[in-house]
Amino acid sequence: MYVVVVYDTLAARNPKILRTCRKYLHHVQRSVFEGHLSDAQLRRFHNAVETVLDLAYDSVLVYTFPPGAVPQRLEWGAVEPAPTDVL
Amino acid sequence: MPAAARTYWLTSPCRIRRKDESLIIERDNAANVHIPVTDVRDIVACAETDLNTAVISLLNRHRVNVHFLSYYGDYAGSLLTSDTSTSGETVAAQARTAGDPHASVAIARSIVDACAFNVRRVVDRKLLARPYTVLRESIEDSTSQAQLMGAEGTFRRSAWEVIDTKLPDWLQLNGRSRRPPRNAGNAFISYVNGITYARVLTAVRLTPLHSGIAFLHGTMERQRHSLVLDLSEMFKPLMAERLLLRMASRNQLKEHHFDRDTNQAMLSDTGRKLVVQTIRDEFAVTVTHRTLARNVAYDELLYLDALALTRHCLEGTPYKPFRIWW
Repeated sequence: MYVVVVYDTLAARNPKILRTCRKYLHHVQRSVFEGHLSDAQLRRFHNAVETVLDLAYDSVLVYTFPPGAVPQRLEWGAVEPAPTDVL
Repeated sequence: MPAAARTYWLTSPCRIRRKDESLIIERDNAANVHIPVTDVRDIVACAETDLNTAVISLLNRHRVNVHFLSYYGDYAGSLLTSDTSTSGETVAAQARTAGDPHASVAIARSIVDACAFNVRRVVDRKLLARPYTVLRESIEDSTSQAQLMGAEGTFRRSAWEVIDTKLPDWLQLNGRSRRPPRNAGNAFISYVNGITYARVLTAVRLTPLHSGIAFLHGTMERQRHSLVLDLSEMFKPLMAERLLLRMASRNQLKEHHFDRDTNQAMLSDTGRKLVVQTIRDEFAVTVTHRTLARNVAYDELLYLDALALTRHCLEGTPYKPFRIWW
């Protein structure tokens, strides 16, 4: 399924969560990630993120889209190029 | 094939490095790109690529194969992860089937037939009707792999000639030539064949089959994935010939997509990017599978065919090589 992840964490923990997210998803904005994950991968990702977070202060939002759906996105400003598999 | 992971195509010279248990692609002329390892099914390196031990151990842990195409676009080799789906029983059954002259010639026959069927389907049904009947007759008469390959060669030659009539002058093949390809059309076909070969190798690695034990191509050759040569035979027309004819008729291929010398040709940088993108999209195209009753991507067809062969060796289910059914 397609997943968009947004996080809001204490600045000191940002690099840690960034590294964890990079393992599973494409970095599209400072604290926004997106990409395809299987159910198992999502669960693994969830566990990995949980060990990094302070659940009393930080928050992570995960938007999931039903299988086959890819959200359209409109872009403004200096947007990073969309993730591609031809490099 | 396992979902939720993609094939990555590297079309410009780059270095793959490991960073934070994940991959980072460094290029001279563009910004670094982070790739999530979990998103990688395999990598096709179409341009010069550097990697080191740290990356290799990470790739191995995530079961990611890397295929390399050489400067001229022919298959240069692969970095294969250690076998995951080992099954001595399957390999023994495969070896028994390949060792039995009767059984292996039967498979080789069906492969040659399916390949010719696909070529005819893709190129021209009418003009190739006659060569196809001739081929089927000689298939019946053949008793060895060498005879079969010969018969296939004859059929292929008439197919190349028919293809030439549908191509603009500068793209015409004038006979198939390899290592190096002599003209633009041949360069294109070699390139696509190389990629198809790499994709089939990935598919075979997902099954317990041994990639060196083949039915049509010589089994005894060293350092060759002969089984992959066998299996890619049916898929080459689906990718190479069909894409060549389509891209030519749509005027997508231009002369600047090729670097041509007097006696050899290869894709230029822009050409390579265009071709790789086209193939990438083509592998994602889906068709409805009749027995599975669901949509299946071309990519998955390779895997299904390898599975069918596994089942044939293990259980004796009749093996019907892939034929274009749509």
